[in-house]
Amino acid sequence: MRYGFFPGCTLESAAKELMISTKKVAAALGIELVELEGWTCCGASHIQDVDDFLATSINARNIALAEQLDAPLLTVCNTCTLMLRTAKQKLDRNEQLKKRVNQGLAEAGVEYRGTVEITHFLWVLVKDYGLDRLKEKVKRPLEGLKVANFYGCHILRPPQIMGFENPLNPQSMERVAEALGAECVDFDQRLACCGFHAVFPAEKEVMKLTGINCLSSKDAGADCLVTPCPLCQMQLDMYQPDAQRGFDQDITVPILHLPQLVGLALGFEPAELGIGRHIVDAIPLLRKKLVTA
Amino acid sequence: MLSYDIVVVGAGGAGMMAALAASEDPDLEVAVLSKIYPTRSHTGAAQGGINAALGNRDPSDSVEKHFRDTVKGSDFLADQDAVEFFTSRMPELIQELDFYGVPFSRDENGRVAQRPFGGASSPRTCYSADKTGHVILHTLYEQCLKRGVKFLHEWFLLSLAVEEGELDGLVALDMRSGAIHPIQAKAAVIATGGFGRIYWNRTTNALNMTGDGTAACFDAGIPLKDPEFVQFHPTGLASSGILMSEACRGEGGHLLNKEGERFMARYAPEKMELGPRDLVSRAIETEIKEGRGFGEGIGAYVQMDLRHLGKEKILERLPQVRALAMHFEGVDIIEEPVPIRPSCHYMMGGIHVVDYKTCRTPIEGILAAGECACISIHGANRLGGNSVADVVLFGKYAGLGAREIAKQRSLPSGKKVKKEADRWIKTFDRMRRKTEGIPVTEIRDKMAETMWNNVGIFRRESEMKEALETVGRLLEDYQDACIGDTSVRYNLAFVHYVEVGNLLKLAKAVALGALHRKESRGSHARADYPKRDDGRFLKHTLIYKKGDDYILQYEPVKITKYRPEERKY
Amino acid sequence: MDTVTLRIKRYDGVKEWYQEYQLPYEKGKTLLYSLTKIREELDPTLTFSAACRHAICGSCAVRVNGNAFLACKTSLDQLLETFETERLTLEPLNNFPVIRDLVVDWEPKLERMKAVRPWLIPSEDGDPSEGFRQSPEDFRKIASPTDCILCGICSSECGQLSLNQEGYLDPFILNKAYRFAVDSRDAAPEEHIRPALEKGLWKCLHCMECVTKCPKEIDLAGENAYLRQASIQMGERDNKGARHAYAFVEDVKSKGRLNEVTLPMKTEGFVSTMNRIPFALRLIRKGKINPLHMPREVEGIEGVRKIYEHAQGVKEP
Repeated sequence: MRYGFFPGCTLESAAKELMISTKKVAAALGIELVELEGWTCCGASHIQDVDDFLATSINARNIALAEQLDAPLLTVCNTCTLMLRTAKQKLDRNEQLKKRVNQGLAEAGVEYRGTVEITHFLWVLVKDYGLDRLKEKVKRPLEGLKVANFYGCHILRPPQIMGFENPLNPQSMERVAEALGAECVDFDQRLACCGFHAVFPAEKEVMKLTGINCLSSKDAGADCLVTPCPLCQMQLDMYQPDAQRGFDQDITVPILHLPQLVGLALGFEPAELGIGRHIVDAIPLLRKKLVTA
Repeated sequence: MLSYDIVVVGAGGAGMMAALAASEDPDLEVAVLSKIYPTRSHTGAAQGGINAALGNRDPSDSVEKHFRDTVKGSDFLADQDAVEFFTSRMPELIQELDFYGVPFSRDENGRVAQRPFGGASSPRTCYSADKTGHVILHTLYEQCLKRGVKFLHEWFLLSLAVEEGELDGLVALDMRSGAIHPIQAKAAVIATGGFGRIYWNRTTNALNMTGDGTAACFDAGIPLKDPEFVQFHPTGLASSGILMSEACRGEGGHLLNKEGERFMARYAPEKMELGPRDLVSRAIETEIKEGRGFGEGIGAYVQMDLRHLGKEKILERLPQVRALAMHFEGVDIIEEPVPIRPSCHYMMGGIHVVDYKTCRTPIEGILAAGECACISIHGANRLGGNSVADVVLFGKYAGLGAREIAKQRSLPSGKKVKKEADRWIKTFDRMRRKTEGIPVTEIRDKMAETMWNNVGIFRRESEMKEALETVGRLLEDYQDACIGDTSVRYNLAFVHYVEVGNLLKLAKAVALGALHRKESRGSHARADYPKRDDGRFLKHTLIYKKGDDYILQYEPVKITKYRPEERKY
Repeated sequence: MDTVTLRIKRYDGVKEWYQEYQLPYEKGKTLLYSLTKIREELDPTLTFSAACRHAICGSCAVRVNGNAFLACKTSLDQLLETFETERLTLEPLNNFPVIRDLVVDWEPKLERMKAVRPWLIPSEDGDPSEGFRQSPEDFRKIASPTDCILCGICSSECGQLSLNQEGYLDPFILNKAYRFAVDSRDAAPEEHIRPALEKGLWKCLHCMECVTKCPKEIDLAGENAYLRQASIQMGERDNKGARHAYAFVEDVKSKGRLNEVTLPMKTEGFVSTMNRIPFALRLIRKGKINPLHMPREVEGIEGVRKIYEHAQGVKEP
């Protein structure tokens, strides 16, 4: 299994631990990740607000880089996935647009052809890799760990572009977590938005939302919240102390990246997966839960 | 007491056009009351288009041809002076709607696009994809917002008070608070739509099409004109009655029986599927009756095949139609033919309008426009694309008519309407407290069944007499109806009780008019009198209600230009 | 499956409660069919609104298990399958005042809609007696936004609106602004766009709920992007949203990737960024950001810049 790997900007800085954990987990599972050389930011759902042709063009270039590898493009970020898939859908449905975009790409020496799929680490686990195979790789079942699966918007919506599973009642996260031996809790905000993309223009609302999201998982009895998107992770983790200020109840809940959860079950230690880099310390919890496991 | 210069009842295409025209005079206080929000109105369900002889697609089209087609389509029962007035003003009305912002589909020159429609000798139906009524309704609402028109949202008309032949006021229920208000008004424009719900589920009409304004006028002494003329749309979805637009036939859809024949060749060899609605409806029913339909009994149907149009054309021109068939019949018209059969669609008859230029009724101060009114421009059968046209054009003239009246009349005393409101307050109170009786829905469903079976597409004397008796009994049962909801706030059970009462009164008039019209004309098809009889029946039916008695009269048709001839397509 | 249970949120103006109704399971029915059956056979007091039965009047939207649907075009079978259950919870739309049971109050929404001047401001190319000329291409721009039936589903599902009822406009209102802003017959797109901008245009969370749930499949998120672009072209660049978006545009051009260190400064300016010092220190402590880190230019950055140059001369077809 070989994929063109599109890390996305956050993996180079604030979510470096996701880079670390993704690479370790992929290697342990035997998934080959070839990082695209010269990938750029996907636009993060912002560039189209200035110029949507530009947003489509830069992602056409990103996809073209994967086409050169002749491998499907794998991401670990919901928004990167959505941005790349949006560009692909537009280009594949509109010959005229594709032609114009390719005129620009030609000057950069690349061409968008539309020959590779764009997928996400979560989908690869469920569909390409298979949960039975994943189960076989589990060395340390996460028994007793109660996880709240927080999907994040852009891996589900809009379904016309994402289309992997029914956005009203997805199950992929639960199936992965259960394969790893963890216990899933159902909570109101399971399919909610984290608010990350509006944290600057709508700070007050997004902080409130962060608190609601954390509390909802806690109220349902979760030990930690796990998400397939670094942006959700950043919003819920990095801003948690700020969000706390608007709440009387304690909203503290550790937030894990999906590959970190997988890595723990594969037998990696929390430190190896960069879990020590989180603002809300997950280590005491994991020590307690995993030691007994 | 609430008082306005003009109250418009109903906020569909006709009501909002009336409100816009009336409120052009800033000195007049105008209010629109409607039991549903304006954009929920049934005008929005009109898919296919709106007729106007613009000649954009066919330069040889003319107002004259539109006039002739409409008269011929009406089976010569339309009043020709009114039809001429209507057809000659439609082109400028389309421009007005365009200026209001209606998103019309366009031809390559940027002009309003036009398509062929049943019964039209030129392609003159202007459209916006297949959501023409929807976009007109929303555009008119936008214009009302712009103009600051006052809406009384979710107010339900209970009755009209008339004193000495003149309007005294209206009684309405504010559904949210449960308060019943008398409203003084110099003029009331009734624009409450049709009453296809006399057939309850066997209609394309929305659930709320219960003829509230028509019944209120009828009770107030205004006769119903030509109520026996009920149009059955040939292409309702087989299982729900939901309308598949005439645009399907306009765009070239084929009707097939179970032998795979395009059976319209037997009934309208030239026009085929583009024959007028009544003819196509009867052709389908005949096929079913003679055993060439699919299925049996109430579930029988024929097929409409659109596959040959191709995916691209269907997606471009009939996207809503395709979605409807998918959601409500489970059929993708790109892949398969869709099961269809006739469904009650439109009431040609309605509130007797005595002056088409102002839409006045015999009672000073009461005007009517849209489907609830009978001007009459549709006569015995309405042409497709003439309904939304009627609604906006006469809505406008009714608004102008109301303005004139409001300027001439002083505010009535309001004594009668106050009494009338007190009577309704007692009724509401009594019905809320009543714990036993016959469920309203039971009465309603019996009415629908008898109307469909006995006063439907084919009509016979004995069956209609039976229907009259049944409806008479149901009117008695209605006295013992029970609504089962004690709430003051938003009591839809009470609203429905009043609606069903309205339907019963109107159903009886439909049956009575039909029984006495011993001929076949337009949509009125008598098995026992299969021919049109101009000698005896080239005249309008007028039914008056005096207490519980119905009195039948007739009035001559206005013929200015076209002498009746046989209707052939 | 023999029976289906509908658990419906009731409200009578004073108290709220949930009431359960059991219906025999019937294949191939709509949600509206079930509601009607309850009202006609089990409980005449159950209150909901519906009119056309075919998804054009917009009356019958309700929430099922937390998601808004048009009752008339929603198949009961599909709901049961989606939620893997024989029991559904029905509630009135979110973000609306409730009148009774499933009936919500539209009046305040329609009042708010006036903010974007939701009517054509006719350009001088038209005339009340002559109408307009409009090309088929220009008509196509308004074809989808005028599909809106004002059902309120987007309002119910909107992430920002759920947090902020006053400071944001419902997606259907933004759709109205868009519908006129792109109408070739409109003389003053700015008059529709500016109120949207002033009422929190940049506050959209990008949660994509509106585009996912809209029964008419209107591209509300794409329209939102257009309104933002148009507001920038109107010169409205000096706000957090636009500055934030430009930070991405500029970073990609200069290095290919985002510089998270300079992002807050670019978005918020110096003073506000100072308020974020505790936040920044927190991140620095954990190694989440390195204030001294400067991203290097990506391989092929010259090509990226050429793509930028090309894009400048192109409007998306």
